[in-house]
Amino acid sequence: MSWLFGKRSVAEPARPPVRRSLALRGLLAGLRPGPRHAVLDLGPPVADNIEFLAGLSCRVRIVDLQRSLAAETAEKTAEGAMAALLERLLPVEPDERYDALLAWDVFDYLRPDQVSSLMGRLSPLWQPEARALVLLSTGRKIPMKPVRHRILGLETLGEEGLRQPTRPGPQYSELQLARMMRGFSVSHRVLLKTGMQEYLLVRGAGLGALAAPTSGNAGPPSNRTWFRKR
Amino acid sequence: MWNKRENETMPSSAETPQAVVASSALPPAPRRDASGGIGPSISIVGDITGEEDLTILGKVKGKIDLPGYNVTVGESGRVEADVNAKVVSVAGEVHGNLIAAEQILVRKTATMLGNLKAPRVGLEDGCCFRGSVDMERPEKGRVASAPLPRATVPIAPAKPASPLPVTTASGGVMAPKSETAPVRS
Repeated sequence: MSWLFGKRSVAEPARPPVRRSLALRGLLAGLRPGPRHAVLDLGPPVADNIEFLAGLSCRVRIVDLQRSLAAETAEKTAEGAMAALLERLLPVEPDERYDALLAWDVFDYLRPDQVSSLMGRLSPLWQPEARALVLLSTGRKIPMKPVRHRILGLETLGEEGLRQPTRPGPQYSELQLARMMRGFSVSHRVLLKTGMQEYLLVRGAGLGALAAPTSGNAGPPSNRTWFRKR
Repeated sequence: MWNKRENETMPSSAETPQAVVASSALPPAPRRDASGGIGPSISIVGDITGEEDLTILGKVKGKIDLPGYNVTVGESGRVEADVNAKVVSVAGEVHGNLIAAEQILVRKTATMLGNLKAPRVGLEDGCCFRGSVDMERPEKGRVASAPLPRATVPIAPAKPASPLPVTTASGGVMAPKSETAPVRS
């Protein structure tokens, strides 16, 4: 009877919140025309994301970094020991160069030295003008585990796991982000209603690196005004 | 007169030997419905090849090469091997690269460390996975030397679609992909 009264029945599962993500759109638009792209996803495996990216001729590497680090001992994740751990978590394949990084909100669950170690490990593996999508919480509290992001469209994201126990968040600033992600520069940012700051970063040329849309409506608008400035 | 019916139903003497000869000359047809299993208490170190489906509930270390057949790793299964098969389903623990001619399915109970290559890959939410996913037509001899059966390789979907029923971690239904979905900024 839900169709009649317009209300969701009790048994019907609640749909996860859906939001627009122009950073995702910008990131996907940056995938250069070519036979295959490589995308590095630091979040948990989500079948929708893999299928969506496969439709864009992408090969996706899943790391599930927060879960992988949580499974390790404190000694292995300590400062100075991360390099050895990342060698195991992120084996380098000879010809693999990444076009895009989907970091989601994983950096909020890492120490600055861990992020720097990760980016150092990845530094020789980027394609020129590789792009990265990063979400950082501006609030003091963050969910206990990273939110699961589900790509539902070229600029549409579903978010699962927003309502869960919280823990203190690091409240990384843009300056800290720039220090942790050397070689990348913030191209666009937008503050979401949830208190998350969404960043699109581009490796190398910085602001001028955003190319015009490659085809159809897959690209971002031609200027940067589509993002609200903080 | 009394032997009329008998004569009609009896096969001619010339047909019978031919039929016997013909059937004995053919190699035994592979039993497509056959399946083998490795029980929970069994450990195997070495390569596995064959012509039937395989269910692994024990431990296997080596290489599994069953092109054209299904390989299922049960929840108690522990595999350290590269696997080449038609369909691979993982509910246990696998350390190795998987190549499937049709489909790879990683269940939510699975721990999968390795690269996946198949036209269709399904990852259930909640599974532990680290590696790359390549939904491309498998190349010959990438992992296993045996060629993949061409007839069983479907073409990869041209657009993002959800051919596999994958449930969410909470058991809910996934939101449909739609550009017109209500969004919030």
